[in-house]
Amino acid sequence: MQIKNSFATLLQRNNSHKGIASFGSMLWTIPLISFMIAWELVARIGIFPANRLPAFTTVLATMCKCLMIQDFTLRVLRSFMNLSIGILSALFLALPLSLIAGLRSRIDLTLTPIIMLIGALPDLAILPLMVMWFGPGNTAAIMMAAICAFFPIYFTVREGTKAIPRDYFHVATVFKSGRFSTIAKVILPSVFPNMVTGLRLSFDFVWEIILAIEIIASVTGIGTFIDSSVSAGSVEYAFAGILSVGMIAVAVDRLVFRTLENRIARWRE
Amino acid sequence: MTSQMEVLDVTKAYSDSEKDLPALHGITFDINRGEFVCIVGPSGCGKSTLLKIIAGLERPTSGQVRFEGRPLTYPHEKISMVFQTFALFPWRTILANVEYGLEMQEYPRDQRRETALECLEMVGLSGCESMYPKQLSGGMKQRVGIARALAVNPDVILMDEAFSAIDEFTAETLREEVAEIHVETNKTFLLVTHNLPEAIELADKIVVLSARPGRIKNILDVELERPRDKACSDFVQIHKDIFHLLKEELESSIVKHKIKCIHEFQRLHDMEGR
Repeated sequence: MQIKNSFATLLQRNNSHKGIASFGSMLWTIPLISFMIAWELVARIGIFPANRLPAFTTVLATMCKCLMIQDFTLRVLRSFMNLSIGILSALFLALPLSLIAGLRSRIDLTLTPIIMLIGALPDLAILPLMVMWFGPGNTAAIMMAAICAFFPIYFTVREGTKAIPRDYFHVATVFKSGRFSTIAKVILPSVFPNMVTGLRLSFDFVWEIILAIEIIASVTGIGTFIDSSVSAGSVEYAFAGILSVGMIAVAVDRLVFRTLENRIARWRE
Repeated sequence: MTSQMEVLDVTKAYSDSEKDLPALHGITFDINRGEFVCIVGPSGCGKSTLLKIIAGLERPTSGQVRFEGRPLTYPHEKISMVFQTFALFPWRTILANVEYGLEMQEYPRDQRRETALECLEMVGLSGCESMYPKQLSGGMKQRVGIARALAVNPDVILMDEAFSAIDEFTAETLREEVAEIHVETNKTFLLVTHNLPEAIELADKIVVLSARPGRIKNILDVELERPRDKACSDFVQIHKDIFHLLKEELESSIVKHKIKCIHEFQRLHDMEGR
């Protein structure tokens, strides 16, 4: 009887936990909504003039208006394309290099110090060089994105490759796996979680670099849009641009990286 | 009766090992078809290296392993292996793990699935095929490892400390099941272990290695009736005999080590004196 009772309380407790959890998953909306209201109030009361800080609702309205403007969406797309092409080409280059470095310690000892050295250079300092070599166009932006994305991918995948248990290779050999199949069916699945981490790191980081090169070297994109809106005094357009960049970043993070990470979490110990 | 596998004068030296002391020296023994052979020895005696050489994962410095009359230098499709660390691929489901060997040999999908399910049933894991390794306990993981080894229909199954990473109660039942599988399938088993009762329980023949460099100390035939009772006096006697051999071995290596230390001390003392 007593056992039954305590079991019942246990169940109850579990249920109440569940209640907190479902409520807890919505807690994040409270500061978000308060922030929006505070922004709206501060702007409406007129602590800052409207040409410095537009109201939140004005920014939202401008953003909706902007999405209708072809030039705006094209610019956002262009920045996003530059970023994606840059990251993908970095992946294309970093993946084989980091795999070789992770598998062969002699190559690692030769290659990694120089990569570390280049990676330690401040990225914004390389920026003017890229603009000088490739001109203030998409090529410079893509190159810059690729350079910045290379290092996080290289180092995370290299770590992952080093951590592959030796016995995985023994299994491959004992069961007569060929070289190509060992890469495709043992090495790549092993380092896949590291690759996702590396891509996620570089994605967050490269957005800033893309905007910076656009603003500094006036490469057409959403960065220049924000910059010229500020100079032209139409601050609500600048805010709309900033907000849409942020929303794209969050959307990609949720749609791409969260999905991949959830899939990995199914099997990862 | 011709033997299925012959290990002939196998020596393994690692070039970077301290003072070029070989890991294995002049190992020679035969394995007959369907025999259960256990290799025991003190830790660091190179017993796992010997297994890796037989598996084709490492090459001997000299000597050779012959399988069905031919020298064996590469991993052979009729030899498969079970690992101490289980070495299951975590991203594959249980079924896909068991299918791995067949996949490498490019069997058609239906046949792979069928064979893998049969092997899972053999180790008592029917119904787990769509789970991932992280959902299984150590004992169950090793069952998957055994199923994977069985799936390629090998003649010889090598086991490297296959029961050492599993808790003793689970290991006990697993050993019994492996003994059953051995009888049922009549495949040759070669188990490396440091667990003497385990070796005596399972083996037809026990190869006792000496401390590094590993040489053959003795080869014993175990002719106890199966299933074997650990409390039976013959079992205890064999255990005593092997234990005595190994103890002797360990003591001599400790003495050797001590003498080396004394020499070193003497040398330092002399240098100081000068």
